[in-house]
Amino acid sequence: MERRDVLKGAGAAGIAGLAGCIGGGGGSSEYPELGNYPVEGDEVTLGFNVPQSGAYASEGNDELRAYNLAVEHLNNGGGWVDMWDDLSSGGILDKTVTSVSGDTATDPATAEESATQMIRSDGAIMITGGVSSSVAISQQKLCQQERVQFMSCLTHSNATQGADCVRYGFREMHNAYMTGKALAPILVDQFGEDQNFYSMYADYTWGTSNRDSMKEFLEERGWNQVEAAPTPLGTSDFSPYMQDVPREETDVLLLIHFGADAANSIPAAFDAGLDDDMEIVVPLYDKIAANAASDNIDGVLGTVDWNWQVDNEYSNAFTEAYREAEGTAPSYAARLAYSATMRYAAAVERAETFYPPEVIREMEDQTYSNTGIGEAEARACDHQSMRDVYVVEGLPVEEQTDDALLSVVGTTDRDTAGYACDAGPAANCELGTYGDEDN
Amino acid sequence: MSDDARTDGGTATADPNLVDRLVAAKHSERFVAVVSLVGLLAMPFLLIDVLGVFDDLIGVGLGGFVGLPTLILAFGIVAVGYNLLLGYTGLLSFGHAALFGAAAYAAGIFSNEVVASPVLAILVGVVAATLLAWPIGFLSIRRSGVYFAVLTLTFGQMLYFYAFGPGAWLTNGDDGYTPFAVPGGAEIAGAVPTSDSLSDLFFDLTGLTLTLTDGLDVTVGYVLTALIGVAAIVTAHRIIKSPYGLILKAIGQNEQRVAFIGMDVFRYKLMAFVLSGVFAGAGGGIYALSKAGLTVHPNATLYWIVSGDFVIMTALGGVGSLAGPLLGAVVFEYIALVVQGITIPIIDFQIGSLWRLLLGLAFVLVVAFFPDGIYGALSSLGERIAERFGTESPTGDGPRPVEDVEETGGDD
Repeated sequence: MERRDVLKGAGAAGIAGLAGCIGGGGGSSEYPELGNYPVEGDEVTLGFNVPQSGAYASEGNDELRAYNLAVEHLNNGGGWVDMWDDLSSGGILDKTVTSVSGDTATDPATAEESATQMIRSDGAIMITGGVSSSVAISQQKLCQQERVQFMSCLTHSNATQGADCVRYGFREMHNAYMTGKALAPILVDQFGEDQNFYSMYADYTWGTSNRDSMKEFLEERGWNQVEAAPTPLGTSDFSPYMQDVPREETDVLLLIHFGADAANSIPAAFDAGLDDDMEIVVPLYDKIAANAASDNIDGVLGTVDWNWQVDNEYSNAFTEAYREAEGTAPSYAARLAYSATMRYAAAVERAETFYPPEVIREMEDQTYSNTGIGEAEARACDHQSMRDVYVVEGLPVEEQTDDALLSVVGTTDRDTAGYACDAGPAANCELGTYGDEDN
Repeated sequence: MSDDARTDGGTATADPNLVDRLVAAKHSERFVAVVSLVGLLAMPFLLIDVLGVFDDLIGVGLGGFVGLPTLILAFGIVAVGYNLLLGYTGLLSFGHAALFGAAAYAAGIFSNEVVASPVLAILVGVVAATLLAWPIGFLSIRRSGVYFAVLTLTFGQMLYFYAFGPGAWLTNGDDGYTPFAVPGGAEIAGAVPTSDSLSDLFFDLTGLTLTLTDGLDVTVGYVLTALIGVAAIVTAHRIIKSPYGLILKAIGQNEQRVAFIGMDVFRYKLMAFVLSGVFAGAGGGIYALSKAGLTVHPNATLYWIVSGDFVIMTALGGVGSLAGPLLGAVVFEYIALVVQGITIPIIDFQIGSLWRLLLGLAFVLVVAFFPDGIYGALSSLGERIAERFGTESPTGDGPRPVEDVEETGGDD
């Protein structure tokens, strides 16, 4: 009781340094209290906040499996822990890694409340997870306030590390802008110059940002947008929308849908016979859509974060470890989850402290090539990883296996897919404070 | 008889007249104001400190977190107003999410575009919800029963889809809107940040340390919220006790009879709807304040499920009682936000998304055994106690021996 009062008094007076000395207890911490720092005891808690119910539960459960695999490797060795110089078994900074998991229900408010509990009740030092950008954004805003690091998982909206970026959030996945930059040259290459394209997009923030990015980069290369047609999120019958596509004028149809929407819209486009008159492109593929529309995805182009068939030592090591644990090949949601945990752990080891501002500085402007996606750079200006973007194509039904519905047809390198700190989404990004500015 | 009771009851309480006076005072406005103020200020202490004892004791995280009481009050105030409509006037609206959400967005947008004042932002929320309640009510109340419910639902869903997609220029759509996204956050009169705790404020003002427990270390924002909560309860109390409230009750019981005595039923129903809109506006404004620097999202404010949540809170707590809906909001949000995160030790089972199942179970049990909700159950228990210890027993029977009371109490 007494100690707390002293802390409060000290905090109010702004003598944060004093609070740190008293708050550290063991005298082992060289930094003041901040967020859930210092980590007391010989365990450190990570919060895995993933959709375990709702539309993206299948991706969420993939993430959770990969998180648990990461914890297992961090504590007992295996996977990337054996390959990264920064990491060794026995936990993070010799503290055993434990975890709490929550259910975001693919809903930003639920995710935020679940993360609040992880931070305030369970003392999580880092939160990670989520499918859908709104969920990532709501969590990272909370994490910025609470001074707890947030490692984004599956989020593709420009805003995540653009207009809504925060100092405490990092994203490795590519965004709509990079999808546009990566896909446009390949589409022009494949289908020729001066084509007319028709965008059908899910009518919410993610859909509109993809629509705008695709338009920007395709028109830059001389293509012409016939029309952009919004569809409400959660549409189950797309056939009326497919009837509206002008067959004579349209050469390429962009289906900007994700998850259940894509699972419905891709078959609807084929049922309407649109594939006879035009090429169909799905700018962002995901596991749910590819599984549900597997009969129809032959030759359909799109981008992914990663695919287990990407051949490099880190990619193969992760795929092997995951396959051994779960019996199936990992989805890209799983890689993002595994990578987020490992990158955070490595940054803590390099910083030699859990003190969030130091861990964040350790990650900023870090160039790395050990997460299975080639060389990447976690930029300091917007905390977005500049990285290669993989372009994939659906396999013909007879060539599909349980693990492989898509094949990687190309990689757009990060110089082509990337953008400067004053361009694209990064131009709207103001990261906010580290939280140690007053010291 | 009165003397008998006095000597009998005197063994258990010091002054049985106190009980009588309390029972008599139960309906006075001052009593309602004092009790609700004490109750709301004690809520953080009860939810965080008292329940938090179990965290260490049995290793189950039953304690609430800082911020939970504000959220509960935001929904509780809406439920209190909603009860005027459902519990008294007998109108089942499924569109209150529209009013609540519109107020939250209006308050949020005001806080960023005009001035980050919590009081003004909540006022803007109230005005927005009231102005919206008027046309929605005007068009919906022409139909009754299911058609009324469906019409209100439709208006709510129209707003939801607008905010989610086409209206994203205003609401930031699915990425969520951040209210009070200004440096320093929400500030009262431009000086005191609402995120300051009372003990910090006290220290800043006096240089002295104020000893408070975790939960009582409430923020300035919560005190503001609690005061608005008290105002809402007192207002609802006054409406219910007024002749106006009597007519609303009469409409709830038999609309035709009210029409026969020459009352304009449509007008009274519309006013009930607009009044409940005022409460929904205050709740929405407080919600925006509680999300300062965080996210207001269409799914959590405008979606039809949120309307359903208000119905459940009201029915769970007790339709047709003043404090019932507030109790309902406490139980609802506690299950949704705290029980949801509990991991049962030994079997290591996390409740997680099963919370809706638990809430459903609690709802079914309460409605099956206590048709008047949690408040009804508590007040009948209270009446038994008053009956036992008071001099004027409501049923006119003499006080019964303690054993009897306990037995019948146990059966309930």
